[in-house]
Amino acid sequence: MTTPTYDAIVIGAGHNGLAAATTLARKGKSVCVIEKNETAGGMARNTTLAGGIQVPEIAHLLYNLHPKVTKELGLGSARAPLELRKLASVSLSEDGNHAIIRDGKAEMVDGRPHPEAAPFAELMRRLTLFAGLLGQLSTKSPPSFEGGLTSLNALTELGGLAKLGLDLKRIGKKDMREFLRVLLSNAYDLILDDLEDSPLAGALAADAVRGAYAGPRSPGTVFTLMYRMGQGGGAQLPMGGMGAVSAAFETAARAAGAEILTGYGVARVLVENDHAAGVVLEDGTRISARAVLSNTGPMPAMMLAGAKHYDVEAVRRMRNQRCKGSAAKVNLVLNGTPEFTGHNTDLAASRLLIAPSATYVERAFNPAKYGEMPENPVIEAIIPSLTDPTLVKDGRHVISAVVTSVPYGLEGGWNDAARERLAAITIATLEKYAPGIGALVIEKQVLSPACIEARTGAPGGHWHHAEMGIDQILTVRPANGMAHYRFGPEGYYLCGAGAHPGGDVTGLAGRNSAMQLLKDGVL
Amino acid sequence: MTKHVPIGLVETPFQPRLEALSTAKSWTNWAGYVSPATLDTVEFEYFAIRNQTTLFDISPMHKYRISGPDALEVVNRLVTRDVAKLRDGRVGYVLWCDEEGMVIDDGTMFRYSETDFRLCCQEPMYTWLLDTAWGFDAEIADESQDIAALSLQGPTSFSLLQDAGLGDVAEMKPFDWREIEPDLWVSRTGFTGDLGYELWVPNGNALDLWDRLWASGSHWGLKAIGFEALNICRIEAGFVAAGFDFQPVHTAMRLRRGRSPLELGFAKMVDFTKGHFNGRRALLKQRQTGLRYHLRKIDIGGFKPADGALIYYKKKNEVGHVTSGVWSPTTKRNIALAEFKAPFGEGITDDLWAEVYVNEEGQWDKRLVPVTIEDKPFFINSRARATPPRPF
Repeated sequence: MTTPTYDAIVIGAGHNGLAAATTLARKGKSVCVIEKNETAGGMARNTTLAGGIQVPEIAHLLYNLHPKVTKELGLGSARAPLELRKLASVSLSEDGNHAIIRDGKAEMVDGRPHPEAAPFAELMRRLTLFAGLLGQLSTKSPPSFEGGLTSLNALTELGGLAKLGLDLKRIGKKDMREFLRVLLSNAYDLILDDLEDSPLAGALAADAVRGAYAGPRSPGTVFTLMYRMGQGGGAQLPMGGMGAVSAAFETAARAAGAEILTGYGVARVLVENDHAAGVVLEDGTRISARAVLSNTGPMPAMMLAGAKHYDVEAVRRMRNQRCKGSAAKVNLVLNGTPEFTGHNTDLAASRLLIAPSATYVERAFNPAKYGEMPENPVIEAIIPSLTDPTLVKDGRHVISAVVTSVPYGLEGGWNDAARERLAAITIATLEKYAPGIGALVIEKQVLSPACIEARTGAPGGHWHHAEMGIDQILTVRPANGMAHYRFGPEGYYLCGAGAHPGGDVTGLAGRNSAMQLLKDGVL
Repeated sequence: MTKHVPIGLVETPFQPRLEALSTAKSWTNWAGYVSPATLDTVEFEYFAIRNQTTLFDISPMHKYRISGPDALEVVNRLVTRDVAKLRDGRVGYVLWCDEEGMVIDDGTMFRYSETDFRLCCQEPMYTWLLDTAWGFDAEIADESQDIAALSLQGPTSFSLLQDAGLGDVAEMKPFDWREIEPDLWVSRTGFTGDLGYELWVPNGNALDLWDRLWASGSHWGLKAIGFEALNICRIEAGFVAAGFDFQPVHTAMRLRRGRSPLELGFAKMVDFTKGHFNGRRALLKQRQTGLRYHLRKIDIGGFKPADGALIYYKKKNEVGHVTSGVWSPTTKRNIALAEFKAPFGEGITDDLWAEVYVNEEGQWDKRLVPVTIEDKPFFINSRARATPPRPF
């Protein structure tokens, strides 16, 4: 028997794959990350448009990068530099009475407090408190009841749950009741219990469902809102675009000693005697390893190893995973600075939301259910070039817009005409808040969920690899019996957003997966 | 005249003959079909199995065809034993498990070739097979409604087949499987532990087959039988029955009612070396951590059938119960299959007692009778395996 070339191979150099590789490499393991694309970064890459303009290709803001990951990987340190700018959020109103959310407080454009500042602050306090409670569960494998109370492992995991229970009691009866009341309910009711239906409410509703195949009235959206607020909910703009975030992860991985092989697709995962033994590349090269981690979506990860290595029930659960992507990306290059009704350029550098009410957000989702494009979509847009002029030149600007409730399974399929229509809808929607913006557009890049799937392999082009529904989180993410990153054959692990705790650029899924692998003693 | 049956049980193709023969009018529901519990009396029918030859309609069995280039892979993914070792034209007893290693059902796997199999079983299994075959190049067809089958069992069954012009079965060994005539497949299988065959035809040929066998039958003492007589024989042969000796895990509503093949005593039927199959990892783990139960054959003192009786250790601690128990008329023993909580039945096998209630003309009495663990089937007769078979 030959000695394996590596201790571990990571499939996919998205940020989670890089986090996993760094975590393993820092423990002295030899790791090779294999990436199909020419560059690392997955959904958190920059793309270069005509004239050398840099734009965040898919994801464009950081919300949830976990401090533990930042610290362990050394992100933002000299080892892996990363500069972040806090952005305020501006929820646009056609009449110019925008709502501004800055550091969790609601204001008006002129700096006066928002009329609903007090109830908003109270709502944010509760959500942040609850999000913090749930956040405790995110840095470990989810608790398991397998093995009952007799195994030390199970007891340790239950310990985490017990601590959550204790902390839950500690927040006081009133908050605890509220937590348990709202946990599984819908964002729409929660928000409108305390706020008028206005751009302020709309902003929260939009944040609750971004990237999800859900409207704010869908059950479980309070959970996704809390998830989004895991680190307080504030958005951060990486200087140099999202590509800079990936670059930091990549630098950290290389600094820790991991190798990164880009431009090589993995054809399949080798399984010998029910044990992951390496991978076969698309060009036929075999690379052996003692463990394999897959940063792909759960279903693609299963197919890489082959369905025959999984129990029928596991295959059935993977086949029935909910992962319909519903967020598209529209990147526009502007031949000038856009003017938004009722506010100045400073505010235009914020996170701009088109979600004038929670009801608007709900209605925007309706067409997606029938495979149709929304006529009035919810948009989260940034103009990163206002904050970071190095991205562009010659007085140009770039708008990076996440357009939600755009169905993966569009009736008639995704083609050039459909993408063109989405661009037109996006520009028309922006035009309502920034008259004349359409005339400035000199280049468009439209990525439908189907394009996102093609570029990143994310099933359904879903931002979180799998819907963050109550049936697909915590102990059942990606599915019942698979929540501990162990993924079928021994030594095969899932390390992407499809695993606990889920999507967003958190770095946790990759880090936790590597930690579980080390704990399992596979290496 | 066609009979309209809006609700209730469906008739098998043999029902016209069974109906005419039934004096007992004792019918049961077998998988949604009308099936005789007894046609005449259970005693006559039982002794016909052991001394003459008998016909039992097994059409209600579910029959599935698994075919295509990956058929062998699908079948091996499904069941616990290695079907690659089963030769073409052979039949194998198989069990299959869920992901927790609990038995979903047992049945017989008929191998036509590496790319073509038929699975016969008690429980409906179509969707499970479809799910098992997902991702493989194999077709699943439900043949349950298309194929009729008769089980011809008893010491004179070969002689009868010879008289019926089917003497070609002479060279068939136990578990062989041949197309003796176009559209008539015969397997040397059965549920009695005796000499016997099962005959498989398309539904349309069912009554012709029955009449052909019946016409050659009187000389060999042919008798049509119902389930009750067969059940005595299968316990004598030591065969487990779904729903009696184990609960098919997909039909069990309560937690932990499933049993693994290891717990049912089929460790030899589980091949851990053949690659992954459903429940393999769970079974490996169970083998490591220990079994919870042992299903064993037992001999019970006295002559009172002990079906359902509780079993005690040292006459004090309850450690198991009888899952199928009968008085065996041929071996003249009080026999049963029983489930023990581990380590009883396997590690601890002595000082075991069954609690039997007897009613002596209105006066009830509770007795503790000794239990002895048996390894071999209760009924063993060389005629069952002789090839070519003897005339009786």
